[in-house]
Amino acid sequence: MIALIAALNVVSSIPTLGSLAKEVGGDRVRVESLAKGYQDPHFVEPKPNLMLVLNRADLLLYVGLELEIGWLPPLVLGSRNPKIQPGEVGNLDCSRAIPVLDIPTTKIDRSMGDIHPQGNPHYWLPPANARIIAREIAARLAQIDPEGKPAYDKNLASFISRVDAKEKEWAPLAAKMKGARIATYHKSWTYVSHWLGMVEVGYVEPKPGIPPDPSHLVRLISAMRGEKARLLLMEDFYNKSTAQLVAEKAGAKLLVLPTDVGARPEIKTWFDLVQHVLRELASAV
Amino acid sequence: MNLPALCAVALLAAPALAQEAADAGVSAESEEELKKELEGALKADQKAPPGAPAPAAATSTDAAPAAPLMRGAQSLNPDMSVILDSDVGYQRRAPSFFNGDDPSLGAGPSTRALGLTVQEVELAFSAIVDPYFKGEVYLTIPNLSGIEVEEAFATTTSLPWNLQIKAGSFRSAFGRQNGQHLHVQDFTRRPLINSAFLGTDGLRGPSLQVSWLAPLPFYLTLYGEATSQRFDVPAAPAAGTPPDPVRSFGNDGVRRPTLLAEAKAFFPLGEEWSLYTGTSFASGSSPGITILDDTGAAVSRGVGRDTALIGADAYLKWKPANVSGGYESLAFQAEVVFRHFTANGDLADEWDGGAYAQVVAQVARRWFLGVRGDLIGLPTSSVTARTLRGALSITWQGSEFSRLRAYAEYERANAPPSGSLLPTLNPAGAFGAFLQLEFSIGAHGAHPF
Repeated sequence: MIALIAALNVVSSIPTLGSLAKEVGGDRVRVESLAKGYQDPHFVEPKPNLMLVLNRADLLLYVGLELEIGWLPPLVLGSRNPKIQPGEVGNLDCSRAIPVLDIPTTKIDRSMGDIHPQGNPHYWLPPANARIIAREIAARLAQIDPEGKPAYDKNLASFISRVDAKEKEWAPLAAKMKGARIATYHKSWTYVSHWLGMVEVGYVEPKPGIPPDPSHLVRLISAMRGEKARLLLMEDFYNKSTAQLVAEKAGAKLLVLPTDVGARPEIKTWFDLVQHVLRELASAV
Repeated sequence: MNLPALCAVALLAAPALAQEAADAGVSAESEEELKKELEGALKADQKAPPGAPAPAAATSTDAAPAAPLMRGAQSLNPDMSVILDSDVGYQRRAPSFFNGDDPSLGAGPSTRALGLTVQEVELAFSAIVDPYFKGEVYLTIPNLSGIEVEEAFATTTSLPWNLQIKAGSFRSAFGRQNGQHLHVQDFTRRPLINSAFLGTDGLRGPSLQVSWLAPLPFYLTLYGEATSQRFDVPAAPAAGTPPDPVRSFGNDGVRRPTLLAEAKAFFPLGEEWSLYTGTSFASGSSPGITILDDTGAAVSRGVGRDTALIGADAYLKWKPANVSGGYESLAFQAEVVFRHFTANGDLADEWDGGAYAQVVAQVARRWFLGVRGDLIGLPTSSVTARTLRGALSITWQGSEFSRLRAYAEYERANAPPSGSLLPTLNPAGAFGAFLQLEFSIGAHGAHPF
């Protein structure tokens, strides 16, 4: 109880980051998320009551790489909380140490869609990245709460060994996906594809954030047929009627998958999330 | 027919595509059927939101992780963007309450205008200044006529006790629309209350503001502000031209700064509904109105009258947490302002007021329909006659960065009450319509709720 009263308030932009903070922080942290797991993290309504949540935060965790650029900055400024302003110790961009994929290599402009100039921000599913995020969070918690450092170190070690163990347990499932040809709705599965060795043959969105037109979809269906892509992956916060028809016409299966903790009631931790995604993927090939 | 459908028609004609599809195993005949079916699914899907599921960068899937040095060019330049609003339009006569960022076609008091204008070019710069301030500068060129500082201010980031100070020149905290720039409005022209009570360019100027986020279980922020509104006693209008709407404030140079207070509260009514409300108050001194008397001589009346504004605003929005069920959303917005003038010379102590209410419905991913009603002169006063206006807008949003809007309005200016200083407008009823193109280039902006 004493620990609860003294707990640090950790506020995350998306629930998965909060869940990782809970793994590392244990009883020393209280975690709250601004977005829900079933919301598109690009488009969260910046409701003023979220400023109240941020006002109480000791540490703000966010995905970075401009994922939250459309809604988080005014909330942080409006929170009137000096601890979590950019540049402060209570402001952690969790992409800091992530090996970022899809960094544009040529001059970019928005004819390419609503692209992220710093690279693809959908990085939190693969175990390698979860370990990195957890390490960053543990280091930052220890900076804010030096007394808790031994506890954070211990929790981090425990988390990492559980991730290692799970990775071994998941290895057969992961192996089933190697070389699998897939299409996805948004270009948000890059890190998972990279981790599992899946090959992405196309996207329902012709360009990031740009709604599809029939001609693009005809090309996608042809590509999926030609490349024998049997799976179409989509987050569960999108409308699925188009994707369903594309999958049907391409002879593929539409898999609507969670990508965040809390996307479904039973997904309460990062482990639940990744296990759920892997099982659904493996049972679909 | 929506744009994807048009694209489909255009692309259907492209033999290269047909060939490509055929090569991949889709016959031309079935391709056409397939497109039709896909169009149906897209339409069903298009009950969906503006922004659009944004994005991840599009490049190769199996690109190797980049080394930390590759993390994008670092720059300490401010975020910059340029926003353009360009229109083609028609107006039966000059509108009674013209705002600085309204499209100006040059219509006379009773003559028509048809033509093109660049309603506004806005240049926006913002950056964190240092560990203590955020800085923002917005320059605007309305109707291609001179550059203005719409806002240029610093906001503190590190004050204790939930306090924040804003200093510089900025849009005052008074109601909802006054704080908003043109490109976040849902209609081509601002509500009538803007120029009728707050000023042609809204209530903005050199100001100092302190705000406090109350540590309550619900969101409540209190604002206190002093702003120096400096406007000379207006020049006489040309014969046959009605005077500009009387300014509520502007005589501050000889009195004291205009003082404002506002309370804003937010209530999340479940996950889908939100209510954001505010009440505002402002106190200052009016520079009066100048009219031509019966002999054609310019006469200024009401100079230095003490003025108070009382306002209330509400914004009620329905938007599901995500678009899995479609892209519909609905927003209702209304503001009401009452103004009090003290007696001055032969002008009595008097009240006037006005209001508007609007509903904007998102009916598909890229389509928004808006309807708005304005009423000025409730009650009427010696300087405010009754004016009614109805407006419709249809907005197509190409992406988060471009928009096309069709806007139509009908204004009816009633004859001023007896004892009024205002002339009767002719014609009383006036129709106006605009087709507006808006784009934003540069940094990705974030808008407050």
